[in-house]
Order: sequence, then C-alpha cells, then structure tokens
Amino acid sequence: MKTEELDLAKSETASVEVREPTPPAAWLVGIAAWFFPGAGHLLERKWGRAIVMGGAVWLCFVLGLTMGGHMFDLSTGQGSSAILQVPPMIANLGTGILYLVCWLMGVGFADDPQQAARATFEYGNTFLLIAGLLNYLTMLDAFDIAAGRKP
Amino acid sequence: MRHFLVMTVFAILASAVFGAVAKDTTKERFVYGVKVFAEFMLIGLVLGWILYFIPM
Repeated sequence: MKTEELDLAKSETASVEVREPTPPAAWLVGIAAWFFPGAGHLLERKWGRAIVMGGAVWLCFVLGLTMGGHMFDLSTGQGSSAILQVPPMIANLGTGILYLVCWLMGVGFADDPQQAARATFEYGNTFLLIAGLLNYLTMLDAFDIAAGRKP
Repeated sequence: MRHFLVMTVFAILASAVFGAVAKDTTKERFVYGVKVFAEFMLIGLVLGWILYFIPM
C-alpha cells in the first residue's frame, strides 16, 4: 500500500510542469512589436526576421491604403451597428502606430460610395485587415523569443 | 490580370510571415514559406474556377 502511494506521489510530481515566470522585458518587446511593426525583432537583433516580417506588415498596409481600402473604427457606417465594427477594428488595430496615425489624421477611414466604387476597394480592405493580423503574429513571435520559448 | 497580381502579392506577404514564424531552421522556414505560398495560389485558382461556373 505504501509503495503504491509513493509511486503515485512520484508520478504526480513528475507530471507537474515547471513554469518559469515571463521576464518583464518580454512584455516590453511584445508591446514594441505591436506598436511599431518590426520593432520587436529589431530590439532582439533578429535582423532577418525584422526585415521579412516587419517589411511584410508595412508593405501590406501601404498597398492596402494605395488600393483605396478603408479601416474600421467604432463609428457606424451605412446603417451597420457599432458592434459589427469591432472585429475588423481589432484586426486593423494590429498595425499599431500605422492605424493610430491614420486615425488621428483621418486617412484611410473613408467608405463613401465614391471610394467603394474603386475596383480595388475590397482588395485594399483585405490587405489592411491582414496587415494587422500578420503583425499580431509577428508580435507573438517576438514575445516568444524574448521569453526564451523560441530560438 | 490585376486580380491575379494582387492575389500573388497577398500570397507572398502572408507566406513570408507564416514561414518566418514556423519551424526551427532557416531552410525549414523557407521550405514551409514556399509550401504555404503554393497552397495559397492553388486554392485561390481552384476557388476562382469554381466561382466562375456558379451563375451570379
């Protein structure tokens, strides 16, 4: 009986995962990576990744704006409710400072019929959404590297 | 032609990030990125042809 209890105790001890606390610097890298696409990997001196991932996000965003896409905020457009604007807004918000600067300057938020009539309007929207989502991936990658969970 | 070009640019950008995030070595990342790019293009073309035959 005692041997069984000991075995059980041993197996329970073995199955307990040892979790190291996340270093505070990793959170800072994560925030920097979200705020300025590519900055997280630049801080980690991962130049190649910074160029590829940050460059992809920037290019995606610029192409989206060039194609006439529009970003989402909480203002209701064309009779839709504000709640419906939240998911795409979260995606757009992923681009960090790019979204904030455009929002402050009022650039890229027009969705009037004239803008929507452009052939590349929907492509632009998609590129802008994807730029934000790709930057979330980039941010998580930079965070994992800073936390020592990834080489 | 413009649609195909936009789809290609989109596939390049997305697969570059997907490739950089995944796997461990540079070679594995590159191969994975190329694979994702090919999948994006193939699925895009297949969907395009399916939609072509569906009446509006």
